[in-house]
Amino acid sequence: MIKNISTICSFCNTGCGMFVRLNGEEAVGILPNTRHPVNEGRLCKRGWNRYQNLRSENRLSHPLVRKGSKLEEVGWDEALQISKEKISYILSRYGPQAIGVVGSPWLTNEDNYRVSLFCRQVLKSNNLDGSYRFSGAAALTALNETWSGALGSLASIQSLRESPAILVLGRESLRDFSPVGARMIQAYQQGSKLILADPVCLRAEHFYNTFLPFPEEQLAQILKEKKDVAEQIPRLLAQPGSAIVFIADQIKTASSLLSLLSFMSQDQADPHPIPMMIPLSRSPNFRGAWDMGIRPNNGGLTLLEMLDLSNVIKGLLVFGDDLLTHLPSFSLMEKLKKLDFLLVADRFLTDTVQIAHGAFPIPLLAESTGTLTNCEGRVQKLRPVLNTGGESRPLSYLLSSLTRKLGSSLPAHSDKEMRKEISLVIPQYQNIHSESELDSPQGIVLSTLKHPVIPSIPFETREGPQAPGKYHLFIPNTLYAWSRNQMILESPLLRIEYPEDRMALRMNRQDVRELRIRPGEKIKVCSDHGEAQLAVEIDESLPSRTLVLPMHFSTVIENLAGKRKFDHIANYSYCPDLEVTLKKV
Amino acid sequence: MEKYSLRKADLNRWIDSMIDRCQVFVPSRIEEEIFFSPVDEAPEMDLLGGTAVLPYLPPKDIVFPQSEILFSYSGKGEETKVEVPEGPKRGLVILGIRSCDTQGIFWLDQFFQENFNDFYYSRRRNKVTLVTIACNQPAKNCFCICCQGGPFLGSESQNFDIQLISFQDGYLVECNSTQGKELIDMRPDIFFPPEAGMEEIRFHLEEESQKKFLPAPTSYMSTAIRRITSNGIPPELWTELGERCFDDGGCSFVCPCCSCFGVGYLANDGKGYHYRYWDSCGYAGFTREVSGHNPREEKGERFKRRFFHKLSYQYLKKDGRIGCVGCGRCITACPGEVTMPLVVERIRKAQEAKYFK
Repeated sequence: MIKNISTICSFCNTGCGMFVRLNGEEAVGILPNTRHPVNEGRLCKRGWNRYQNLRSENRLSHPLVRKGSKLEEVGWDEALQISKEKISYILSRYGPQAIGVVGSPWLTNEDNYRVSLFCRQVLKSNNLDGSYRFSGAAALTALNETWSGALGSLASIQSLRESPAILVLGRESLRDFSPVGARMIQAYQQGSKLILADPVCLRAEHFYNTFLPFPEEQLAQILKEKKDVAEQIPRLLAQPGSAIVFIADQIKTASSLLSLLSFMSQDQADPHPIPMMIPLSRSPNFRGAWDMGIRPNNGGLTLLEMLDLSNVIKGLLVFGDDLLTHLPSFSLMEKLKKLDFLLVADRFLTDTVQIAHGAFPIPLLAESTGTLTNCEGRVQKLRPVLNTGGESRPLSYLLSSLTRKLGSSLPAHSDKEMRKEISLVIPQYQNIHSESELDSPQGIVLSTLKHPVIPSIPFETREGPQAPGKYHLFIPNTLYAWSRNQMILESPLLRIEYPEDRMALRMNRQDVRELRIRPGEKIKVCSDHGEAQLAVEIDESLPSRTLVLPMHFSTVIENLAGKRKFDHIANYSYCPDLEVTLKKV
Repeated sequence: MEKYSLRKADLNRWIDSMIDRCQVFVPSRIEEEIFFSPVDEAPEMDLLGGTAVLPYLPPKDIVFPQSEILFSYSGKGEETKVEVPEGPKRGLVILGIRSCDTQGIFWLDQFFQENFNDFYYSRRRNKVTLVTIACNQPAKNCFCICCQGGPFLGSESQNFDIQLISFQDGYLVECNSTQGKELIDMRPDIFFPPEAGMEEIRFHLEEESQKKFLPAPTSYMSTAIRRITSNGIPPELWTELGERCFDDGGCSFVCPCCSCFGVGYLANDGKGYHYRYWDSCGYAGFTREVSGHNPREEKGERFKRRFFHKLSYQYLKKDGRIGCVGCGRCITACPGEVTMPLVVERIRKAQEAKYFK
């Protein structure tokens, strides 16, 4: 007999409502909820096939402890005892600032809040961060600056369909997040103006009114130069209800968003409405993790600094995240291996688990209670669909046991009590203690407490026109790419839908012809800093003289790019796009 | 064909008798959403009236589930044990299925039972008795009248076992199969010969119901069939429509006719199972070859293929009907709003505009 359980999808941060269909203990199907305000009966292909990854055979089923070169299955008590001894040793020998803690956008708000309390009150460390530091934090920082630290509700996906104008940064923002895309198509049908900014796109789809083939970091500057479009676009976006939609994981610098906002607000009557902001993410609780304090404070180190300063950080505790999959790189693996102690709590036998000293199995989001905050700022409650698999125990159990063993104490909170505490401590979450509202499909929309103030910041300088013979190499940020998402890898259908990126240089067909090479053949890419040999792959959607190499091929990119640029606002370094030449091998 | 009359007040007594012998699926509300669920007590009567009630998940899920285990295995070498899960032991009754979904199951029968008899499908399907309710009042998105899908099925149709036609406080019951007759024979005390004048009432109800559908954009279905069959649609139109496809697969999953599936397996430590799952022609991986080459890489191409299968004459000739029954579920499911009515309308308008030759 089939049971239908209503819950929230946990692939991305739009937070669609769905029924998971169970036959006994086994998930056998999905049906979108037609009454859910976010998706109104629609889903993307990940959502429709989500049941497939709920029956994985690759779960981390027992606590693991490294003995010699091997990871061995042990009981919870032994693993906790060993972890406690390692943590105590580091604390007594090097002090609390030698430990770093990583929270996760794959954990619920309650669990992230627990991680934050554990780091600050039990370990007394300030080194707390999330993997989004590698790019998504840029967008979060920009939004946080604009709303003076109290990021409330930013938008309503439902009301996008009434938007008079929508600026879309990167066509994937529309294509890859169907509830948001659906509302944009509805807006288009009602005469709204859709504007696409995307540098790696030959032509925009028919529903876009204006196409700006530029990257977001140059957009403000270019708009300033191009008077004809420039006057029209801020006017369009100054209308009440207009919106800017972007994939926050891919925004490279905080200044690119801030300069865009500050350009939009120029010459507009004051106070003018700021467009709705929809920061999409390929992780389910991107905003929630940030809001729960998963970021360094009081001079704490960012995740990048924790990894770089191997003489300072001796122990790293990673909760609910797989750093090596999001940022596959030999140098990162070396950095993690240098740690005296790496503890990982995760659901699957991931690459990061494989090199850990201790690993603890925790439940999937589909097995958890707790809440997620979606891209609008809507807090929604998960319903446990499945019973916890194997020896998995909730993160709250892991943290409270470690706390006790470390001789410290944190009040043991249920999720409900945790929400009450969150509502008292984090101002924009003040309403989330109402359990009856949380149980409704609408969830609870965060309070907006502060008016946005756009900090005035200088625009990025734009590089001059392309020199003859040069190609523009775009290095898109691929943090949290679907093809490396563990939940996708666990699904036979989705694994085919999101094939692994081949290490290849994507380029326009015409360019390939002109160079007289065949697809698959190698070509030498030369930059000011170095060179690399890469196979060529044709991408029909790319404009001429434009090359694409995803960020996660980091070793090649490190060769070509040399030094990374530093974003002082978001406090991290990134790889800028490059001018390169191509030579036949 | 045999005809009876049944008082609405007696419907629950009939269902109670069915429950003793079979598993009875009836439209039921679960957190406001309607599903075909097995019931063990009196169902909600408002879902069994003359107004169309279409659970979002079509009843095809009962005969062809979204995913099902084909076989499981354990052990190694000669000790390998292979197990095929059991099929349903009792009879299954789908009560309150509407005309369009009944036609959908007929289309599935063509695919799963006509040339090759699918073991997993047949062992469910052969146990199913369909008790259809004709629709006196269409739902918001219905266009079955354009697709030979409803709102009433012909009295002589072999696609239903029993058809109920709702009027005032009773149903006119039409029974076309021995399976249907068995259900009726369980309760001779509540089934009566139809009263005089009932034929006339049926005629008027059907006529009134049909009037409520017009005019619909899909009234031009025949134009779409003709132009798709003769390849008379400009490729630009498919490209444009394809741009609005989110390749989410929702249209295939909620379509009562779509029958495509993939096969996956899960294995660990010497045991595992193979299972099949609903697949969609909208997905790029559906036709991608092992080499990485995909004959339908472009979304427009996949979109064209989908509508070719739905509307081309070759399938109409082979399977006896087009691959759309007009239930309108794709209208709810499609994020790009490129639904059957829109595609049909665009094909017609393309003809009137510059593409006509």
